[in-house]
Amino acid sequence: MSIFSTLSQKPWTSDQAKIDDKHSGKSSSMPLPRVALYVLMAVIGVLFTLFSVAYIGRMAYGDWRILPEPPLLWINTGIILMSSFAFHKANISSREKNNKKTREYLFLAGALTLGFITGQLFVWRELVSFGYFVSTNPSYAFFYLLTALHILHLFGGLIAWLFVVFKSFEQEDETSNFLLSVNLCAIYWHFLLIVWLALFAMLLLT
Amino acid sequence: MSESIIPESELEEVELYHPKSWWTEKVFSQDAKLIAIQYGLTAFAIGFVALVLSWFMRIQIAFPELAIISEGTYYQFITMHGMIMVVYLLTALFLGAFGNYMIPLMVGARDMVFPYLNMVSYWTYLIAVLVLFVSFFTPGGPTGAGWTLYPPQAILGGTPGQETGIVLMLVSLCIFIVGFTMGGLNYVITILQARTRGMTLMRMPLTIWGIFTATVLALFAFPALFVSAVMMLFDKLLMTSFFMPALVEFGENLTYGGGSPILFQHLFWFFGHPEVYIVALPAFGIVSDLISIHARKNIFGFRMMVWAIVGIGALSFIVWAHHMYVSGMNPYFGFFFATTTLIIAVPTALKVYNWILTLWKGNIHLTIPMLFCLGFIVTFLNGGLTGLFLGNVIVDVPLYDTYFVVAHFHMVMGIAPVLVILGAIYHWYPLVTGKMMHDGMGRFHFWITFIGSYLIYFPMHYLGFIGVPRRYYEMGQTEALYTSSAADLNVFITVAALAVGFAQLVFVFNVFWSAKNGKIAEKNPWKATSLEWQTPEQPPIHGNFGKELPVVYRWAYDYSVPGAQDDFIPQDVPNEKVKLEDGYTELGVEKT
Repeated sequence: MSIFSTLSQKPWTSDQAKIDDKHSGKSSSMPLPRVALYVLMAVIGVLFTLFSVAYIGRMAYGDWRILPEPPLLWINTGIILMSSFAFHKANISSREKNNKKTREYLFLAGALTLGFITGQLFVWRELVSFGYFVSTNPSYAFFYLLTALHILHLFGGLIAWLFVVFKSFEQEDETSNFLLSVNLCAIYWHFLLIVWLALFAMLLLT
Repeated sequence: MSESIIPESELEEVELYHPKSWWTEKVFSQDAKLIAIQYGLTAFAIGFVALVLSWFMRIQIAFPELAIISEGTYYQFITMHGMIMVVYLLTALFLGAFGNYMIPLMVGARDMVFPYLNMVSYWTYLIAVLVLFVSFFTPGGPTGAGWTLYPPQAILGGTPGQETGIVLMLVSLCIFIVGFTMGGLNYVITILQARTRGMTLMRMPLTIWGIFTATVLALFAFPALFVSAVMMLFDKLLMTSFFMPALVEFGENLTYGGGSPILFQHLFWFFGHPEVYIVALPAFGIVSDLISIHARKNIFGFRMMVWAIVGIGALSFIVWAHHMYVSGMNPYFGFFFATTTLIIAVPTALKVYNWILTLWKGNIHLTIPMLFCLGFIVTFLNGGLTGLFLGNVIVDVPLYDTYFVVAHFHMVMGIAPVLVILGAIYHWYPLVTGKMMHDGMGRFHFWITFIGSYLIYFPMHYLGFIGVPRRYYEMGQTEALYTSSAADLNVFITVAALAVGFAQLVFVFNVFWSAKNGKIAEKNPWKATSLEWQTPEQPPIHGNFGKELPVVYRWAYDYSVPGAQDDFIPQDVPNEKVKLEDGYTELGVEKT
């Protein structure tokens, strides 16, 4: 039901009451964790958007220098892409009730994520070795800030990933609860992949 | 497609958490009602600190010869007073305290959907408050940058608290935002997904609509404050130049260069203006319910009231730059924001009309909550009208740096929401404690607060008109700028402020005294229809609604329905169980 038709209801009328009395009380059939993840992703999306707006706003000033693009960033992008793909495969395997394969893909996704984070830290080291410190120019400062924030969100995801991995060793791992957890992890990873691709594109284009 | 046809969820919902020890029951509780009280007490405690700071400032302004505080301390007190009142008191009270207490009860849920996260949200808030409070005891003291924390001065030498105070303020804000996000997720999802059977969105009381919309606003607006706080922390601690332009400090060139202080202002006010409505919308919702209950009449124009809440929420994101007319912005930009500011006045005015029309021919009971509601309407109207002055660029420019602005925002964002909070506490106190608050003390509290507030803020408009500047530690002796009448008025305002402050002590005494000695409240003492009053126990116990959750059969405003014996029909009473007056065959239908 669209928000407009909801807002046009007249809850005081007897005709509307007949419809309303049957209402389940939920606005969606989605389980709570899924709704929570969607709301959380919206908030995180706003956060990164605002940082990007600040980035673009700050670019307009004369002291802005173009950020060098270490090739390692491309490799890291490939790694996070693969990690997201591994989650996708884990999601499919969990639906097929193939627990062993699910766990393998989960491990792979986690390892690739750690690889991405390590790769990003290497990029930082490379930039520092070239003398591009956080205080050298706002463009570098933004790079450190945005990548650090992205890594922090990945760490948050890794905590959830740990729970899912533990769950995969439990006997009741075939329950819908487990399937949902894998699915939500996969969605979150895809989301962070999109965030990274958007940030990377912004860094490349500017 | 009907919203009632909703397929089964993929998962069973989470069962109610039951505490296993005294600590998990009384301290680290996951019960939203206790968390609400924890939020409320913490917010009032830190709010009281802010109130005391204002007394010092008022005494300083009225009696500068006493030099009760130094210049630096004055700015530190201004800053802490403003930030505490806006964020740590008002936001935390409306969303953390009222949100937690009212949402599950009013929508017919046993608790918030994520009780553990809810508990963590409170403790994170407490840490944020403590981090802020600690800054009073650090070298250099708290920041004196003004509550808007504008760079570059916020982090430069010469501004009080630039050593550690500003860092603690920014860190505290970041912690607050993280904590709020946890709470906010809970509020939104509980309202969307945990309502009881029959409780459609449009059957929810306006209190919940206000809290819901304000929470959505906060979830999307607080990130802007987070972004600005993090970037300023970088500027302060890592010497970046996000906001810092090239500067010479005490004859020395600083390493900063090229940054944009205006960028900070945009980010800050992108949060700051929705923040006004984060505070106002729950107040609008609560006051609508209180007026309806205490005037025994359904709220006038319910749908319009909901639309206005949603509309104001949406519009609140496109008015932020009216706080920045004097920042040197493009006049067309100013014109745009002046226009949106005037547009947002339309749904706001609509709400005021509807409150008045609800009162029209109502059976008005001049209870203490109703007195506070009436006080709110006129105060909000006053503050709103001066907002129209300041929303226009050409009027704002000369008034911007004067006491007119102080008067405006204290009326509209200080006194008005506080009157609602106080009215709401008198209204729901019997539900929370099972006791009634002392009526005499309550009435004394209302009249001193209400009249006293006008004695404080009405003269400030005049001070603003004659050009008395705000933010000044002392006004000096220049008769042309600061007339003797203005000086006398400042003394008068200070006396009134101290009296109002004293009245709040009476209120605090009443809260604690009545909890022990108050008259036992009868069940549903105000004869309200909404679900929070229909619990088997009063105060409601853990799980709220006994064995069975209530089923909702009507909206929350069935007061004085023709044909019903009582002048209210609770939301969980079906038509068949409503006692009819003689001469009626069914509700609204007389025997022929």
